[in-house]
Order: sequence, then C-alpha cells, then structure tokens
Amino acid sequence: VGELRATQTDIPKLGSGQVALEPADLIVEAPDQVRASYRFSDPALSELPLDQLLDELLNRTQEALEVDTVAILLLDAEAQQLVARAAKGIEEEVERGVRVPLGRGFAGRIAAERIAIFIADVDHADIHNPILREKGIRSLLGVPLVVEGQLIGVMHIGSLKPRDFGPNDLAVLQLAAARAAPAIERATLAARLEHEHNVSITLQRSLLPKQLGDFVGVSLASRYLPAREEVGGDWYDVIELPRGRVGLVIGDVVGHGVPAASLMGRLRTALHSYAIEGYGPGRTLELVDRFVQSLNEPAMATAAYAVFDPFMSTVQYAAAGHLPPVVISSTGTRAIDVTPAPPLGAFPYGRCPEHEFSLESEDILFLYTDGLVERRGIPLSDGIDALADAVRGARSAEEACQAAVADLVPIEGLRDDVAIVALQNTPVPTELHLRLPAEPKTLAQVRRVLRRWLVERGGEEADVAEVTIAVSEACANAIEHAYSPGPASFELHAWGDDGDITVAVRDAGQWRAPRGQHRGRGLSIIAAAMDDVQVDRLATGTEVVMRRRLPRP
Amino acid sequence: MSLADVQISHEPGALVARLTGEVDMSNAEELGATVIGATPNDAGGVVLDLTGVDYLDSAGIYVIHGMRASLQARGQALVLVIPPDSPVYDALRLSGAERPGEVVEELEAALAALEAKASEDA
Repeated sequence: VGELRATQTDIPKLGSGQVALEPADLIVEAPDQVRASYRFSDPALSELPLDQLLDELLNRTQEALEVDTVAILLLDAEAQQLVARAAKGIEEEVERGVRVPLGRGFAGRIAAERIAIFIADVDHADIHNPILREKGIRSLLGVPLVVEGQLIGVMHIGSLKPRDFGPNDLAVLQLAAARAAPAIERATLAARLEHEHNVSITLQRSLLPKQLGDFVGVSLASRYLPAREEVGGDWYDVIELPRGRVGLVIGDVVGHGVPAASLMGRLRTALHSYAIEGYGPGRTLELVDRFVQSLNEPAMATAAYAVFDPFMSTVQYAAAGHLPPVVISSTGTRAIDVTPAPPLGAFPYGRCPEHEFSLESEDILFLYTDGLVERRGIPLSDGIDALADAVRGARSAEEACQAAVADLVPIEGLRDDVAIVALQNTPVPTELHLRLPAEPKTLAQVRRVLRRWLVERGGEEADVAEVTIAVSEACANAIEHAYSPGPASFELHAWGDDGDITVAVRDAGQWRAPRGQHRGRGLSIIAAAMDDVQVDRLATGTEVVMRRRLPRP
Repeated sequence: MSLADVQISHEPGALVARLTGEVDMSNAEELGATVIGATPNDAGGVVLDLTGVDYLDSAGIYVIHGMRASLQARGQALVLVIPPDSPVYDALRLSGAERPGEVVEELEAALAALEAKASEDA
C-alpha cells in the first residue's frame, strides 16, 4: 500500500521524467480518503452552475489531498488544444488563458494518451506550460477527464515540495475527475446551447423588419416567437410596392439555430429584392427558388408572398410549400384553398402558380408559420381549424395576432418558432384631415391616400388621376412655400360625397407669385383638372380650395 | 422603394431612357440629370420612353423642358414616347403647355424619327 504501480502497457509517447500510472482503486484503510469520496458525491454540488461547481471541486480536492495546486484544463477540439478553465494555487493558468497542444508536455500527454501521469520532479521532466515551473511546483499528478468515452479535459494536482503521490492520492483525484467530467460536459453543453440560442435570437431579431411602416388603406401587425430551446428560420416581411401596393411575406427555413437564421436572412433579402423589382408573387418565388438552388448547400424553405392592392381590394398570392393563408372576415373566417408549389430548394426550376382573391373592406389576411398550428399527435388540418377559431371575430390585425398567440401558444413554450404577419384592408375615413411634413417625399404619400379616398367616393379612373395631379400640385406649392428653417408642415382637408368633393390645402407660408414656367404650369394643371379653384391668401398662410364633380358632367 | 426607375440602353445613334414609376418634385431633377449624364456626345439624340410612367406632374414637365434645352445645346434631339390616354399624356393635356419635344406613341417610331433627323442633317 502507498506505492504507485507503473502501468504494464508500453507507452512510448511519454516525455522525460513522466511516469504513466494504472488507474488506482480506492484504498479503504485510509479514512481521510474515504471521507474525501463523500465530499465529491455531495448532491448539493449538482445544483451549482459550472463556475461554482468547478471552484468547489477544486477546493475539496485541494483540502482532501493537501496539495498546493489544482487545475482543470478543457479540450478545445477544433484547435486540438487544452485550455486552462479553473485553477487553485496556479490561478495564472486561467488568467493567462494557457493553451497546451494535445500530445505535448504533461497535460497534453495525459489527454492524448488518456492516462494518469506522475511527475516526481518537475525540474527534470518534460513540461510545456512554463507557469508550472514559475510557481515552483515540484511534483505533479494528473488524470484525464472522460465522459462516455470522450476526452473532455485534464485535471491535475501539484505540490511545491517534492512528493511521491500514492495510489490513494490517485484514487481521490480520479474520484474528483469522475465527478467533475459529466458536470462540466452538461454545463458547457447548456452554456453553448444558451449562447447559440441568444446568438440566433439576436440574429433573427436583427433580420426582421424594425417597424412595419405606414400604408394607406392598410393596417399591419406581426409577431416573432422563438422556440423554447432553439430558434429556427421563420421570418416575415412587409414590402412597400409601387402604386400603393403592399407586399406581405412569410417564410420558414427548414432547420434550427444559427445556420437556419442565417439562411433566413439571405432568403428574406433575396425575396425582398425580387419583390421591389416588381415581379409578381409567383415569379418572385420562382426566382428565390433559383437563388436557393444556386447556394450549393442543403437548403430548403417554405414561403408565401402576397401582394395587396388597396385600390382594387385584391390579393395576388403564391406559396411554395407553405400552409394556406387565413382570411378573417365579418361573414366568417376561412383558410384560402390554394395549391402551393413545392418548397423552395426542393425541385429545381419549378413553376409557382399565382392565385387571386379579394379582401373586402375590414377583412384581415393572416399569414403564419407551421409552429403556430403544428402539435404532436394532432392532424395539421385540426391545427388550422383551431387557428381559424382563435382569430374569428378579430377586429384588427393586431387583435388577430393577440388572439392567435393567446389561444395557440402553449404555456410551456413553443417547440418550433413562429412568425405571423397580418394585414387588414382598412377603409379610409369619409373626411380626410391630414397634417403632413413639408417635404417633397410627402407628395407620393398624399397621392396614395387621395387615390384610395377618391375611389371610395366613387371616382372613376380618369377622375381619380386628374384630381390626384391637381392636389399633388397644390401640395407641391405648399411644400415650396414652407421652405424655412426648422420642420414645417401643411394641412390637407378633403370632404364631400354624392359626386361632389372639395380638397383644401393650407400652408403656413406666404403666397409667392408663380416663378417662371414651372409653378405657373402647376397652377394651370390645377385649374384644368378641377371645376373650381380658390386661392386665399390669409395672414397665417395660403389656402388653396379645389372642387370637383365626380364624374365630371 | 424608389418612386421611379430609369433604364438606359444604347441603340444605334440614340440613347433610349425608359422611365417607370412616379415623377414629382422629389425625384424629377435627379432623373433628368441621370439621363443627360448618360448621353454620350456622339449620340444623335435621346428617346425618353414615358410609357411606363404612372404619374408625372409639372415638376416632371419642367425637367423634360430642361433636358430638351441642354440636348439642343449639344445639337441632339429629344423624342418622347407617350401613348395616348397614358398618365403622362393626361398631364401634358392638363398643363396645356407646349410639348417639350417631338412626341410619338411608340418606341419604334421614336427611333425612326431620330434616324430621319440624322439623315436630314447629313
């Protein structure tokens, strides 16, 4: 008892001064070590987070074996190095981030050969890490940390006085290592998952639209809910299209974590890019499919793209492998029966058919990903029915999102992530009262509101175009007048019905006589397009009041 | 989203600029400058295709007049493609002003008009 047995197997890779040891059994006659064995199986240890657990194990090892130093190094598998993770008596190891290549020096050889190694005299031994010598350590004993046959690191103890570590010392160290290894593995796995979870949630959040923007005749709402454990590649997007149309996108990349979130970002960008080029939903999805094919990596996603025209109250819709959209209306809530094309990336050069359906005033178009309706052991069609039940009666896009989340998201969290985007066809008020920033880019917005308002007042295409250009010219005048330091605004009022409408544009600037041909032409357009025009120069500003019959007699 | 887009192609003897979208005081000057800047000195003229323009107001008309003037100074002609009943056609009608250059209904006619002009000059 008390003598270490060198292992019988021949180990040629040992360095000078290193002795390989056979695993030791605990020697029952040594009561201190028996007590030590209890110290490492204390159930309270498993409650601790990784850093505290390691700290506690190092303390208890140091006390039990009466050693000067204890250290744990963990394997960085990618770099094939051991990295100092926790230490007592040689804290510098951790502070300086000591790295030992596998197979080198003391710890490196323990790891590479998965054996216990004893060094009686550090001065005459092969040591990689200079801190061991700097600290004046004379003798060392180290063991591998192994979990389910996988090496995860090395634990070693050291003495400042020359010391012959005995079999009991080895047995206790092995006990501490056996306790530490699975706990480290569990905790690092949890930390890695949490890190990845955080990274991908951040990524996901950064890739989703920050705000949904303002659109005429449209109100929007959306949700992104990460899964309980891992984010996926779900996304939504809202795209401003020419002539006041609004693009609505929903998509779901197959897979989880950072790779899925990253692919999602690329797909969202690709789809957005094709959409603003003016491609329709079917063609846009066909082009995104080509994009996915060109990535040369296994990638698959489902997506749907809807274009809503608030002037026609129609939706152009196409889907690639995606679940059917739900339309919430006062007369009933239904899933729209559309045949989706195969998922993006599934079959090269597939065709993606386009569908058209109408969205009446106040109807809500509700797009979602499968995480909202898929439940283990429940048919998908039942999930969609449950969604339809949940959102029935919603009076706004926001209300629909709230109802769906409240009814369908389980309390314990989601197994899959969920994206939702909803759009309501909102009526324009019968009277417009708008205060608008006096900036040139406001004009396009004014035209969008006005066109929709005129259509709802019964204006035919030609009337709408003529009144729109007249009002836009009046607003352009107001914007020109308002050139002054600081933010300026102007007002637009529009009222009337029964085919007789009046639009007033009022600014806070001084009326200026038309300068050159340019402004003069603007006024002549107003005069030609409207039945009656009055320009009132008030003390507080200028008001242009324009009247027009719809349709013109 | 940009309000309007301009696509430029170089045909024999002419630069063709196809404008799409809406043109107003927020973008008219920039669009005009883009077309003039892209016109090489040896081009016989410029065809400004307004077929795809959904909206054009006095600011746009003003800029087209300016384009005609700067092209004229370089001895280059401006031909406008404006189909009847298009939004641009209506805007010009409402403005009641002189047309800012020769107007044809189709691109082919514009190219033919420029070719005829080139042989006149030669």
